[in-house]
Amino acid sequence: MRRPVPFELHQPRAVATACELKHQLPQKSFFLAGGTDLVIAVKERGLSPDSLIDLKRIPDLAGVAEDTDGSLTIGALTTLAEIESSATIVARYPFLAQAAGEVGSLQIRNRATIGGNIANASPSADTIPSLMALNASLRISDGANQRSSTLEDFLLGPGQTALRDGEILTAVVIPPTDARLRGEFIKLSPRQVMDLAVVGVAVTLVTDERSRVEAAAIALGAVAPTPIRAGAAEGHLLGRVLDDDLAEAAGAIGADECSPIDDVRSSAEYRRVMVRVLIKRALLNAAARAPGPIPWRQRGRKRH
Amino acid sequence: MPDLKYVGQSVTRVDSGGKVSGAAVYGYDLVLPEMLYGKVVFSDRAHARITDIDTRLAESHPGVIAVVTGRDVTYIHGETVQDTPFLAIDKVRFIGEPVAAVAAIDEDTAQAAAALIEVTYEDLPAYLSPIDACQPDSIAIHEDYDSYRKADFVSPGKTPNVLEHFKLHTGDVETGFAESDIVLEETYTVPSISHAAMEPHSAHAQVDSDTGRITIWSPNDAPFRAREELAMALDRPVGDIRFINPLQGGGFGAKGGLKLEPVALALAMHTHGRPVRVKYSREETFRSTLTRHEAVVTIKSGVMSDGTLHARRMEIYWGSGAYNEKSATVCIRGSQFAPGPYRIPNVSVNAYSVYTNKPVSGAFRGYGIPQGTWACEQHTDELATRLAMDPLEFRMKNVFTEGDVSYWGEELEAVGLKECLAKASAALEWAAPRSEGVGRGLACMIKPTKIGTESAAAVTIDSDGNVTVLAGTVEIGQGCNTIQSQIAAEELDVPIERVNYAPLDTDVTPFDSSTTSSRSTYHVGNAVRRAAAELREKLLEYAPVAIGNCDPADLRLHDGLVSLQDNPDRACTLAEIVTRAVGSDGVLRGEGECARNDGIELDLETGQSPRAAAYYMYGAHAVDVEVDKETGIVTLLRMAAAHDVGKAINPLTCAGQIEGGAVMGVGAALYETLVYDEQGNIKNPSFLDYHLVTSADAPDVAAIVVEEPLNHGPWGAKGVGEPPVALGPAAIGNAVANATQTRIRDLPLSPERVYWAINGTPSNGD
Ligand SMILES: Cc1cc2nc3c(=O)[nH]c(=O)nc-3n(C[C@H](O)[C@H](O)[C@H](O)COP(=O)(O)OP(=O)(O)OC[C@H]3O[C@@H](n4cnc5c(N)ncnc54)[C@H](O)[C@@H]3O)c2cc1C
Repeated sequence: MRRPVPFELHQPRAVATACELKHQLPQKSFFLAGGTDLVIAVKERGLSPDSLIDLKRIPDLAGVAEDTDGSLTIGALTTLAEIESSATIVARYPFLAQAAGEVGSLQIRNRATIGGNIANASPSADTIPSLMALNASLRISDGANQRSSTLEDFLLGPGQTALRDGEILTAVVIPPTDARLRGEFIKLSPRQVMDLAVVGVAVTLVTDERSRVEAAAIALGAVAPTPIRAGAAEGHLLGRVLDDDLAEAAGAIGADECSPIDDVRSSAEYRRVMVRVLIKRALLNAAARAPGPIPWRQRGRKRH
Repeated sequence: MPDLKYVGQSVTRVDSGGKVSGAAVYGYDLVLPEMLYGKVVFSDRAHARITDIDTRLAESHPGVIAVVTGRDVTYIHGETVQDTPFLAIDKVRFIGEPVAAVAAIDEDTAQAAAALIEVTYEDLPAYLSPIDACQPDSIAIHEDYDSYRKADFVSPGKTPNVLEHFKLHTGDVETGFAESDIVLEETYTVPSISHAAMEPHSAHAQVDSDTGRITIWSPNDAPFRAREELAMALDRPVGDIRFINPLQGGGFGAKGGLKLEPVALALAMHTHGRPVRVKYSREETFRSTLTRHEAVVTIKSGVMSDGTLHARRMEIYWGSGAYNEKSATVCIRGSQFAPGPYRIPNVSVNAYSVYTNKPVSGAFRGYGIPQGTWACEQHTDELATRLAMDPLEFRMKNVFTEGDVSYWGEELEAVGLKECLAKASAALEWAAPRSEGVGRGLACMIKPTKIGTESAAAVTIDSDGNVTVLAGTVEIGQGCNTIQSQIAAEELDVPIERVNYAPLDTDVTPFDSSTTSSRSTYHVGNAVRRAAAELREKLLEYAPVAIGNCDPADLRLHDGLVSLQDNPDRACTLAEIVTRAVGSDGVLRGEGECARNDGIELDLETGQSPRAAAYYMYGAHAVDVEVDKETGIVTLLRMAAAHDVGKAINPLTCAGQIEGGAVMGVGAALYETLVYDEQGNIKNPSFLDYHLVTSADAPDVAAIVVEEPLNHGPWGAKGVGEPPVALGPAAIGNAVANATQTRIRDLPLSPERVYWAINGTPSNGD
């Protein structure tokens, strides 16, 4: 660990000021949210900022709001602890609450923000697969203008995003979903807590009364340069009755869609096999559940 | 035994307040007046000649007070083999070896200056496994090994880099195999792991500019031994060196011997009397301090069809890393008992401790026993399977019992092993059916406490009645201050609140060999008990000056008072006795010691000794696991850990040691391994990638205290610090094999390893 070289800290009170500062300040300035990625980069990865622009003092960037059309807006500065315990998210998208709740430790989640998790663009970011499986979009501001982006377009590679200089991620928007939507997130890591995903799998499903799949989304974390959708596996599900065989088949297709690497946590080969197993489990778990909150007891990786 | 007031009670830890509130100041936190800040430049080569070190820029950097390299300080230290330079001299032998150091007015300056030092190397072939390093054509990592100063018992091997070749032979193994009904041979491995104590390493050093006397502040688990090692390296009398022990935040063996002390001292020799602090980050602690020995263990066993163990041959390669540290003795002790706690008439062990170009391996809670226990206990279950015998029954048939003569030739006393096995297995209802996917496993062990060590202690009482214990055992988190306070309170019958445990300073504290080998409760406990008993006799002897004329033989000491046996009204407080006897500024002092010098050196050819240890500790763990066959994830359901401690001086701290050790063993079983790249660089030197057990992963542990008293231990006590850590991997490995019907012989049992073991190796994998 390195002692950080002194840097300037700015605490603007408006998005426009923050964006302006980013333009005015020298090259090496960064937006700071919870700091759980950024401060580690400064202390351990040789990042030497000249200045940090703290976004936490800007009003209205945090919080979870249900819009009249049924969409859900999550402010970029909302902490993962808030997401994990938000009554709205727990009721509507319990797997997203769970994904947030499986990040690091309670201390980390009290600081870490969802915007930071996305903007940091780690392939293993735990909240992204569930958001992808919900077709969430991102709201981005440069201080004057707003634009919108899909997660797929936003995430370019490890640590790489489509944010232009001076742009801030202001919110994540989950579009209205079918009342019958059910989902599941499974994080595979050797340790129960304080561990990064070896593989993360999120699925959402809408099925009719006869278990025929009307809509399905499968998103994978930690098995490609960014979290990805497993489009072919999703396509295979549509119109078919979800049973063990179909789930297994979708898993096998999904395993072919990813491009995992070997690293200190796992071999690529194991990751690929786990994608198969976890897609299957996630689909069957989601199908077996009624829409609505998942009791705490039932959270965890061993649901099958 | 008369009623005991403090001994045998779960007295609250005497040091818990400050540790819980955060007020405690650890070595790492210590700030000294006028202190300078040290920073180390480490080798980034596993094996290389140093062709140049350019320190000029660092020396002229503003705020830098001293820059040192191996050219400036040419001292070599080492406890059993003198092989370790304070800073690398001419060559480096692992990535992370200190090469140069800077002392500056603050941390930032030291860091900036250290970055200006340029080291040029010429690479040499590096050996990253003990087996590669000891091939006949391997080049020597220590060219001058033969001429190093070594302890008498060290027997270097015949092939390169073998710093110790340990041999044990009894009976005739080849005939034994021929006579056996079943013969099985397998190889088991253990990777190198990190001690990962909560407090990273630090040391402070100062050289008195008038007298040249050296003071070291270091959370070292054996300050007296470290002082001697340093004195030997410097060729100065021990009296020239003073070690002061600040609080230590764990160590598990990594803070014994000399670690950062030589670097801090090298700098302090060039700072004109100003103290220097060197402290390592977590990453530096991972890379540069100490690891546990990796080991490759091959066992061949012969058993009779009735389940009687008949012959065992073992070949063990210990990866010692770049310097000896305690490798010779870990090899000797770890290998001597690697055949396990079993009666075996024919045994042959050849073990090699081999230098490699990896970080130094050394003592780690259990001192070589965990590696042997992993191998032996997996093998034991494999034999039971071949015999179609229940693993518990097989062990019960073969384990040591009272009076057995062991394969190293010692008659064993106070053997509580069968009781440990019975209680641990009963706690899990061993024979009860288990559900699908659940496996049950068992393992047992023996752990020696080294012989040939000494402890001295003093107990004083002042004229206010405050009792102070002076003893050299180090509170490393295990609770020894509490135990020693209980022993003094018991022997003097004073309230434990009146007992104070003095901080440790080698100028003042009576000698103690080391806080290692699970020896403190026994050795220091005996010494404190004797010192307190001597003080009690003195108090009784002086009592008449306070009580009035009487025969000391009629007096009785109880509840902080001395009174006449048959006239309790004639009494006085201990404070009154001290005041009347030696005045209101005086203290009375008792002294005691415990020296176990009755050991008999192992025969160098046969490893035989009729007294090889001060005593032995025994233990058994049983565990239920669930294995997710589709992912390879092992979940621990429950664990029972039974340990024969002789007598629990404090049942709660015993349970704490058992539970803590059992949980630490879960890490070694399931997660922990230092991963190296082909250059010998550790790839996971952080808690992000080096996984320790969190409380969410820890199983419920039923800690079971077995008390088979040792008649020469204090109230029968043995020790308990090390054994619990050894059995986690062994029992869990057996349970995983039981659940999956697949035997895994390598640690850790990571999900991926378990998955491939069950499902076949990956198509393109290695
Ligand atoms: C001990 C520990 C454990 C962890 N465990 C996990 C885990 O299990 N799973 C996981 O996914 N992550 C984990 N993380 C990583 C981290 O906590 C998360 O990625 C977190 O969500 C980051 O959010 P933050 O608010 O702290 O981001 P910061 O560190 O403040 O920022 C991260 C990056 O995003 C940029 N940024 C932040 N907010 C915005 C914004 N609104 N607009 C534009 N750019 C922005 C910053 O400039 C920076 O580059 C862990 C981290 C630690 C230290």
